Formats: sequence, structure tokens, C-alpha cells
Amino acid sequence: ESDKEEPQLLPNESVQDMAHDITYFCPFTGALRGTVMVTNYRLFFKSMDREPAFMLDMPLGVVSRVEKIGNASTRGDVSYGVVCKDMRNLRFAHKQLEETIKKSIFEVLMKFAFPVSNGLQIFAFEYGQVFPENGWKVYDPIAEYKRQGIPNESWRITKVNDHFELCDTYPSTLVVPVNIPDEELKRVAAFRAKGRIPVLSWIHPESQATVTRCSQPMVGVNGKRSKEDEKYLQAIMDANAQSHKLFIFDARPSVNAAANKMKGGGYESEDAYQNAELVFLDIHNIHVMRESLRKLKDVVYPNIEDSHWLSNLESTHWLEHIKLILAGALRIADKVESGKTSVVVHCSDGWDRTAQLTSLSMLMLDGFYRTIRGFEVLLEKEWLSFGHRFQLRIGHGDKNHTDADRSPVFIQFIDCVWQLTRQFPAAFEFNEYFLVTILEHLYSCLFGTFLCNSEQQRLKEEIPKRTVSLWSYINSQLEEFTNPMYVNYSNQVLFPVVSLRHLELWVGYYIRWNPRMKPQEPIHQRHKELLAKRAELQKRVDELQREVTNRSVSSSSERPSSPTRSITPVQTFV
Amino acid sequence: MFSGKPVKATFKCYLPPAQTDVKTSPIEPPIKLEPRFLPGEIIVNEANFVRKCISPDNGQDDLWGRLICTNFKVSFIPQEPPPKQKAQLSHLLLGQHDISLTCLEQVVTVNDTRGKRKVLGSNKKLKFNPAELILYCKDLRVIRFCFDEAGPESAKKVCLAIAHYSHPADLHLLFGFEYQGLRYHEYKANPVNGSDPKGGTQIPFFDRPSDWDREIKRTGASEWRVCSINEEYVISHSLPEYIVVPVSLTDQEVKQYSTSFSDGRVALWCWNHRNGSALVRMAGLKDPLAQKKPVEKILTAITKSHRQRQEVILSDLDKSLPNIQDIQSAFVKARQICTLDPFEESEERWLSAIENSRWLEYIRMFLKHSAEVVYNLEGRNVSVVLLEEEDRDLNCVVSSLVQLMLDPHYRSLNGFQSLVQKEWVMAGHRFLDRCNHLKKNDNKESPLFTLFLDCVWQMTNQYPAAFEFTEAYLTVLSDSMWIPLFSTFLFNSSKQCNDLLQEFAKNKAIPQDENHTVFFPPVWNWSQQFSSRDQTLFNNPMYVGKGAACVQNGEVKTFQRTKKAFSSTMRIPSTSHRNGVRAEEEHFHRRGSLVSELKADFSPVKDESPSERFFRDWFSRPADQQGLLIPLVLPSHVVLWKLFFLRWVPEACIPHGGPATVYHKVSQLVDEIETLQSKLRQYKGASPRGTPVPSSSGPPKDQTRMYFKATSPGDSPASPDILNSSFPFSPVGNLCRRSVQGTPISKFLNGAKTWLSTETLSNDTF
Repeated sequence: ESDKEEPQLLPNESVQDMAHDITYFCPFTGALRGTVMVTNYRLFFKSMDREPAFMLDMPLGVVSRVEKIGNASTRGDVSYGVVCKDMRNLRFAHKQLEETIKKSIFEVLMKFAFPVSNGLQIFAFEYGQVFPENGWKVYDPIAEYKRQGIPNESWRITKVNDHFELCDTYPSTLVVPVNIPDEELKRVAAFRAKGRIPVLSWIHPESQATVTRCSQPMVGVNGKRSKEDEKYLQAIMDANAQSHKLFIFDARPSVNAAANKMKGGGYESEDAYQNAELVFLDIHNIHVMRESLRKLKDVVYPNIEDSHWLSNLESTHWLEHIKLILAGALRIADKVESGKTSVVVHCSDGWDRTAQLTSLSMLMLDGFYRTIRGFEVLLEKEWLSFGHRFQLRIGHGDKNHTDADRSPVFIQFIDCVWQLTRQFPAAFEFNEYFLVTILEHLYSCLFGTFLCNSEQQRLKEEIPKRTVSLWSYINSQLEEFTNPMYVNYSNQVLFPVVSLRHLELWVGYYIRWNPRMKPQEPIHQRHKELLAKRAELQKRVDELQREVTNRSVSSSSERPSSPTRSITPVQTFV
Repeated sequence: MFSGKPVKATFKCYLPPAQTDVKTSPIEPPIKLEPRFLPGEIIVNEANFVRKCISPDNGQDDLWGRLICTNFKVSFIPQEPPPKQKAQLSHLLLGQHDISLTCLEQVVTVNDTRGKRKVLGSNKKLKFNPAELILYCKDLRVIRFCFDEAGPESAKKVCLAIAHYSHPADLHLLFGFEYQGLRYHEYKANPVNGSDPKGGTQIPFFDRPSDWDREIKRTGASEWRVCSINEEYVISHSLPEYIVVPVSLTDQEVKQYSTSFSDGRVALWCWNHRNGSALVRMAGLKDPLAQKKPVEKILTAITKSHRQRQEVILSDLDKSLPNIQDIQSAFVKARQICTLDPFEESEERWLSAIENSRWLEYIRMFLKHSAEVVYNLEGRNVSVVLLEEEDRDLNCVVSSLVQLMLDPHYRSLNGFQSLVQKEWVMAGHRFLDRCNHLKKNDNKESPLFTLFLDCVWQMTNQYPAAFEFTEAYLTVLSDSMWIPLFSTFLFNSSKQCNDLLQEFAKNKAIPQDENHTVFFPPVWNWSQQFSSRDQTLFNNPMYVGKGAACVQNGEVKTFQRTKKAFSSTMRIPSTSHRNGVRAEEEHFHRRGSLVSELKADFSPVKDESPSERFFRDWFSRPADQQGLLIPLVLPSHVVLWKLFFLRWVPEACIPHGGPATVYHKVSQLVDEIETLQSKLRQYKGASPRGTPVPSSSGPPKDQTRMYFKATSPGDSPASPDILNSSFPFSPVGNLCRRSVQGTPISKFLNGAKTWLSTETLSNDTF
């Protein structure tokens, strides 16, 4: 075996098949001949045609579908296309196999790329790497609410959902207004889609204005009302003494919200909810977003058309969607910060657009979430514990690539975060690589973090026990993911300019497969060099200083004294 | 000068109430702004009680004051100046509210009753009393004055005066002549400052053989020599008096061949590669049907000057690049989109509007073409002759871009300035016509130099550590085109500059002896325009080069990404950036969304051309900031230069954000490093036996190179409030368009609220 050509395998990764004389049609450099290896985790292709050797190393989790391509049989070749979830497509071919005894390696690939559909286990359950840090300990809801000052005189932590009886897509720990007893919560739950009642996400440390999240009210065509729900929202408003108004942000376009009445849903009427003002944020649904990203992939992969780039980009509407989401989050942050007014955020079910809006506005409002650990907490809290359906939206290990539940909601959120880091390059502790890494492992199925749809499911599957957290990996090598330019202005609220003048396509993610796109972080790199230089100089200055002090001490006094620093070191904050 | 008329009793009620508390602040007492005049500057006309519009929607932030038209500028003197704003670029010749007349693009008056607009030219009549005056400026500002309280007659007069004086009938009438003439007498009376024609800078002018000689030596162009055949401009009116030619050509041959070329512009040497290949620029033949012999002779001579006698490549720019009218129209469109169109309305089609302007497309074409030339010089080791009919426009852009890519010397501040001097000023770029300073011939106007600066910015954006200067420098340089005091941007050729100065001296009876003469200083002596502290805004803290913080003693070299801490034990596959594929592939095919996904993505692949391979190889290696630099020309990587195009747009201003926050952070770090370095020098400087005495402070604070100083431990780490995406410029009051429609929240989203609340309007350091 020519095992020098193999990649280093992960713990419990095993080779499933290997085939030589495979052609990979690289869209950038042309056809390459080489060897393909399929393991239970990855697809690995290596060609010695080029110098240096060409390698392609891809986790199977990114595979969306594998297709045998038509009648390329003129020369007896069989061709396969691999469509990926991470903005690329691959095409391979090999000679027609003379006997049907041996399966094509791409048939093997199909089996292991879709373990869920084939009764196999997702690789995260087998990966047994041990890390110094335990990422599963990053988020403790009680500690996070305590950081926010909860419980306080207006808000309490309830255990009513301890066994997920109130709402099976919510976490077990919820924060609700003090004066609403658990019994009433159940009646509120009956009026909210999927039982997702309004609960606290964030509270302003000074004004006590809150961000609360929920699902749509079950108003229906007849305009049903719920006394308990109305009282509940009043209680949210009353918990904030600074304002006599409550803003309800409905993430949807008003037309969509109205259409939901046909399905029993709808939105709060301002008649029923006094002192509440309803605002629609015009963010489109998961299907529109999926279509938009599909178009974007067409525009950026494999090659970017030299002319019409910007109008092609415009026609995908991707940046327009990003803009609407950020604009919505900005309005929420502004209401809370400048208006000192509490807000309720929902969409239909409250697990897609709502998660985007609450987490982005919290990122603008609270500097803690702009640190690496804080961002992990934010994801664990607003996305994972509140039931963003990662399994459905990404379709881990599932061959059903046309599933209408798939949607890039989370990618869009990370994109929005990246836009914020572009506008405020010194306000975030993490770098671009951190965001790219999160998206890579969103698909890779190497870590358990993004598996399942809810906290309840994760507990049932014993995810923390059986898999490794992505945060274990990241927190064990923080240096890689740290933005050296970070300045901790934690008490500063970020108000981005939500305009296409400043929103950009995230080339470092969407166009990263293009070899003409030179991956670089030159500013960060340069900054690290400078930091090293400073450390070195400081050391030399300190040494000389010590020498001076020692010399003067030995000449003037017999008693050794601790070296005093006559030079106050200047200091920048890193 | 300023009479300080008593304020009308009704006046107070117009003042914005928000400022009252600021005014009572004991720390920053308001300073009465007085008009300041340069030597030779006189008031032509003025109007009192003029309102300068600050925000387009309501008048509450507007300023009241006096509008003055001089023979140099339009000046506005606010009655009640707001407190000084710290750390903002302030101009020594022009105040915050001043506009040089040369900077005016269009003077428009608006009729009171029907809102009728009239563009005012020289000697125009005005039938109505203007209610408003809108000044469209060449630096993209739009400034609006209202005359609701001013006397109708004086309003009319001042508008007409501005229109008239911004259209000088003759180059002599540009204020610079008056100014420099008076300065001559000043210097003569008080020669302490000396009348060094270079204005104290060290930049070679390329107006004397020694400058060229040094350049020949620096680039190792041993087969080239300085030729003085064009002394007194006998063979060409637009070439410099001294040019560099192949050693194999005699002066007589140069003279003989020159007659065949347009304006006698025989081949002009620009630069030499160490490998022997040369970059040469050349005009077209006077008569395209005439014999090609002179061209052949010259090409043969260039070949002989190549160490390996390599062939010469002709690169015809007229055929492959947009012409000057295309460029002008692209710029006009880009300006329209960025600064004139209503902000919110233009959001929806912003991307396609930018595309339709074609500005970015042209930037890419120039960068790409220059990179091709670089490939020939570096990759193929052949000399390249840039060919353009007149050799005075496109050749300037491409020759200077090629040199920036190949030669790190030109990426230093002085190197860059000498490059502009060599390839633009001395090579006879028609600045006078292209800037349209006399507003006489619109179809000769074209922002070639701005296009060049934008191309340079694209490279600084892609390689932030490779250039000694900042984008603020590039922006300020472009603004300097509109101040008629510097020789750099005023003339069509060095001959024109010399001729005009001589004529002027004759008329003013100034003796033309060797030591004392009237001169126009170049723009390069920046202390003419900015304080030394403000000039530190030009220094790029990230620069890796001579004098940069890191490379100085070679101890910290290029930074390598730290190996993944767990790479050996954890064996995490790096699926990220390095899926080995590298290519320079230009294969484009439109994909309709109806075509099946697979078909589209698995289209066949074209073979690589040698130049594509050259670029691919280069991109696959880490870039050496002090070596060859090739810009990425993917359309996704050539982007709008926001500081230049959007700095005046309040809605686009990111409070506490933008590149300035990085600049701030890195500057502080570098300042700290320099402080430590100077401490080390002090230790080392002290006698080794004696007791070294460290001084309590670092270098004198005014001598540090960085605008932002390292914070001392007591300081708050928060970013200073002045930082925003327009830094070091202020959008406040510099872009006052007609009202923008929109709900209050949309205004907030546009950033209006945030910038209004932090606004401060003036600095008094004028």
C-alpha cells in the first residue's frame, strides 16, 4: 500500500474503499488523474500529475448529493458529480467497470455520505478525540442569566419546562416575568405556535429593557384572543419601568404574517395588545433564502464572470436579505438601547428568523457576546437551546437533498456577523477564520454541536456524552481564532450602517475555492508581527533596566531590593 | 477684516438650541472665526446672514454666517462657531468651510418661488434673486447656502462673483500666480526660508540630468544614458528637457527619429528590470502611413540595450483600454451614484448602478493590463514599449502602475512622489486640460490621475503592509489637484510651466536671475498644507519597508501562521483554505438559472496560458511585501474606494467603525514599539561603564511618526469618538443634497441620527 499518499486519519476513522485511475475535473486547472479514497469521514483525492501534488480533502458531511452523470460513455467512462453544501461541486470520472462485481467507489461514497439514510452512524459519534478544553461546559444557562442579573425583582427562572412538557423545542431553563405563575404559562403556551411562549433573551443592565422571543400567536382567521397572552405581554412591558410601550417585531413581511392566519397563526392585533406597537421586518422565509443562496452559488462557483459581476450578485438578492436581517436587528437594538423600550421578537415558529434577530441584536448590544466564549454562549443559547432545527435545516447525513426544510438560515446569520466584523474590525475578539471554522463544522459532522433539532433531542441522544463539542476544539487553540486587533469596548453598542454601500459579499467564505482568491489575513498577520516585536523590545528594555538597577543597587547599597521599575511601561490593550 | 457687525436681535432664535450647553463648557471656549486671507488674496464680494445647510431635512443644525468670495476661494464664516473638534485633518490654506475656486465643478442657483435651477458660468446674467446657492465641488462635496435672511441684491452679487471668478479666462488669472509672485517678494525681503524651487523636499524632479542618472544607477540600466537633446524643448514641447535613451542611439539619431513622432515624442525610458528588460513609453507616428523605419530603429536600439538582446513587445494601450472620454463618463456616473442620488432610493439598485458606471471595470482593466506588462518584464524577461497616440494619458497610468508592482522603492512615500513626478508631471500629462481648471473645454476633462490613485488604493487594500502611505494620503493628494498653488497639477507640460512663469515674471518685472526667480512649489512639500502632526496621517503603521517598525534590524521576519497546536496529535483535517487547487483560469460562461446545476458547474476547462501560469505560481506563494506585487483582478476583489467616494455621505458614515479603528489600533502599537526602540537606543548610547540614565520619556512626542500615540495605562481603551469610516474627514455639512424621503427609522438606519448627535462642526486651526 502506498500509504504515503494517504491523509492522516482521525481516531476511529477507517478506509472504506480506494480506487486508482480516477479523473477529477478541476474547474480551475483542468482534468487530473489520481487516486480516490473514501473513509467513514472523508473523501480524499490525490493526483501526482502536478508539482506539487494536488490534493482534495473533504468531509463527507458537506456532500449534498452524488449523481451519476448521463451518457458520457463514448470512451467507456462513467462520470459522477458531487454537489456540496459548502459552495462547490466536484466532478469525477473513471473507466467503465468491466464486471459489476465491484461497486464504483462513488456508490461507496453515497453510502457513507448519507449515514442517516443508510442506517449508519454519523461520524461525530465515533470520533474519539480528547481535548484539553471541554466545550460542553461553555454554556450554563443559570450562569448566563446570572451574568445578566437574572433573577431580579421582575424576572424569574422557571423550571416549568424541566421535562420539556410546556414546549418540547425550548430549553429546560426559561426566564419569565415574576408575576406570571407557571400555571398561566401553560395557557399562554396554548395560544403560541408550538407552545413557544415569550421568554427573556436579554435584559439591558441599566434600563431593564428586555429582548424577549416567542412564536406567532394562534390568532387564526377569526382573530382569536387570549387574555393570558395579553396579560403576559403587559407583564413584559411592566417589567421595564422606563417605557410605557412594548414593541413587537414580527420578522415576516406583513403579507406572509397575514397569510399565516389561514393556518391558524397570525400576529398580535394592536387592539388586543394595548400599548404594544407591531412592526413587520419584511424578512423572507426559509425557502426564499435557500433559493437565494443557490443562485449565489451559481454566480460564484466555479468561476466569477468578468463582466456583470455586481448585477449578477444583485440578482441573487443575497445581500439584500442580509441587509433586511441586519436592519431588523438594528431596529431592535436601537429600541432597546436608545428607546429604553422592551421588545418581543417572533416570526412564525420563532426558531429561524427570530434566532437571527435576537442573537444579532444581542451582539450589537452586549460586548460579552463579541468575545470568543461569549459568542459560543450566544450560539448555544439563542440557536441551539432555543431549538433552531439544525438537523432539518442542514440535513446531516440525509440523502434527501430536495427536502424543503433545508435552508441556510444559520449561514446567513454568520454572514451577518461577518458584516459586523467588517464594519467594526476592532470590536470582536474572534477573527474570520473562527467564523469560517464554525461553518465548516456546521456540515462536517465531526463534532456533535450542530446535531439534532432541540435541547430535548440532544439530551435524548446523549450528544454531550457521545460526541465532542466544536468548542472543545476551538477553545483548545484560541490563538488561531483570536483577532489581534480586538479592543474590548464592551460597553459600547454597535450601530452598523445597514446599507449596500457597506455590505459586501463574504469572499473569504463564498469564493474560497477559487484559487485566484488569495487567502490572506495580512492586517492580522502584520499586527501579530508587531505584537511580537513589542514583546521582544519590552523584554530587552526590561533586561537593561534590571541591569541598571542592579548596578546602581550594588554600588549604592548592600541590601538587595526588588528592582523598581523607573520606566512605566507604555501599554496598548490587546 | 471682519467688521463684527452687531447681530440682529432676531438672530438668536435661529441658533440650534442643542449647542448652548456646549458653549458654556469652560474647557473649550468658542473661538470667533475670522476670515483668513493668503498674500494677494482679496475679497471680491460678500453677503451676510447666509445660512449654510448642514442637514438636508431640517434647519436646526444649520449655520449662520458670512459668505465671502475672494480671488482664491469661497469662504463661509459662521457667526457662532461650534467648539473645536479635535483630531481632524485641518488644512492650513483652507478652513473647514472654504472651497477653493478651482475646486468648483458647478455653481448653481435656485429660484425662490419655483425652485428653478440655473447653472452659472462666467459673465452670466441672473434674472431672479437666488434663494439658494449650491456648489458642486470637484472633491465630491455638495455645499448648499440659503439666502432667506440675506439681502437679495447681495445674494445675487455674491453668486455671480463666485461664478465669474471660478471661470478664469486665462491661466494667468489663477490665484497661484498672484500668490507666488507676492511670495517671491516676501522671500527676497526675507531670504531665511530660501526660495528653493523644490520647496524643501527631497523628491527628484527629473528636470535635471542628475535625477535621471541616479535613476539609471538605481535600476541598473547600464545600457541607457541621459540625453540632453531636448534642452530648451527643441525636439518636443511635452517631453522633459532630459530624457533617457539607449546608449546605442546618438543624439543626432534621437533628434532625427523624433521628427516622425507625435510632438516629437521619441521613446521615453521609464524603468529597468534587474534582468535587463526595460519599460519604455512612446507616442504614435505623426503620419501613421509613413515609413515605420524610425520605430524599427528605436526598437532595435532598445533590443540592443537588453542584456540578452531580447525582443521588444509593443503594448498598444489605445487598442486595449478605455479612452479618456470613457473614463470621464464612468467617473461622472460613479460620482452621481455615490454623492448625488438620494441615499435610500439608490440602495435597491446600488450594485448594478455601480456596475453600470463602469468605473470599477476600468480600474480592473488598467490593473490587469499593467499586470500583463509586469509578466512580460519579469516573467518573460522582455522589454515592453507602451504605445499610445500621444503618450500623455493612458501611458502615465500604466507605466506608473507597472513600476509600483515591480519596484518597492515606489511604494515608499518619497518613491511614490518621485514616480508621479517622473511619469505624470515630467512626462507631460495634461493636468491643466484633464482637470479642466479653466472650465473651457469639457471634452478634454478626464480624471486619469484619480483613476490612477484608485488603482493604487486597490493595491494598498489588497496589500496593506506594502505601501508606506495611507489611503488618507491618496485622498489628500487627489484633493490637492484643486488648489491652484502647486506646479504639480496646474500645467500641461513642464515647458508650459516654465514659459508661463517667465512671462509672468516679465510682466511683473521680476528679474530672472539664477538664484531668485518666481516658482511654483510642487505639492510634495506637505507642510504648505498640513501641520506636521496632521502629516503623520500619511504614515501607514503597517508598512513593511525601510524605516518600518519590524524590519529595521531584521530580527522579526515574516510572520508564519503558527502551526496548529494540535496538528500532530489531533489530526484535524484542514478542509478550509487549502484544497490545493491553484490556477489562473479565465473561463467564463453565462449560466442561466434554468440550466441544470450540474451541467453548468461541470463545464470543460480551458488550458492555461503562460501568463496565467505565471500569475498562478505567484499567487500560490506568500507575497513578499518588498518584492513583486500583483493585484488580484477578480471582479469580486476590485471594490469601491469608500473613503474617496463616500467620505462626505453622512448616511454612509459608520460611527466608531471603519478602517480607521484598525489604523488607530496599529498606530498605537507602532508608536509603542518606536518608544521602546528609542529607549533601547538611549541605553546603548550611554557609556557602557557609566550608569545609563534612561530619560523618563520616549522620543519627543511631536517627532513620532504615528498620529495616534500609545495609551498610557490610565487611559481608557475605548476608541476615540472621532473615529468613524470617514476619518480623517468629516461628512458633516459637506454633502447637503435635496431632502431625502424616508421614515424616521429609515433615517436612523441610514446613520443620520448617530452622526447628528456626535457632530461638531468646526476646528479653528484654520
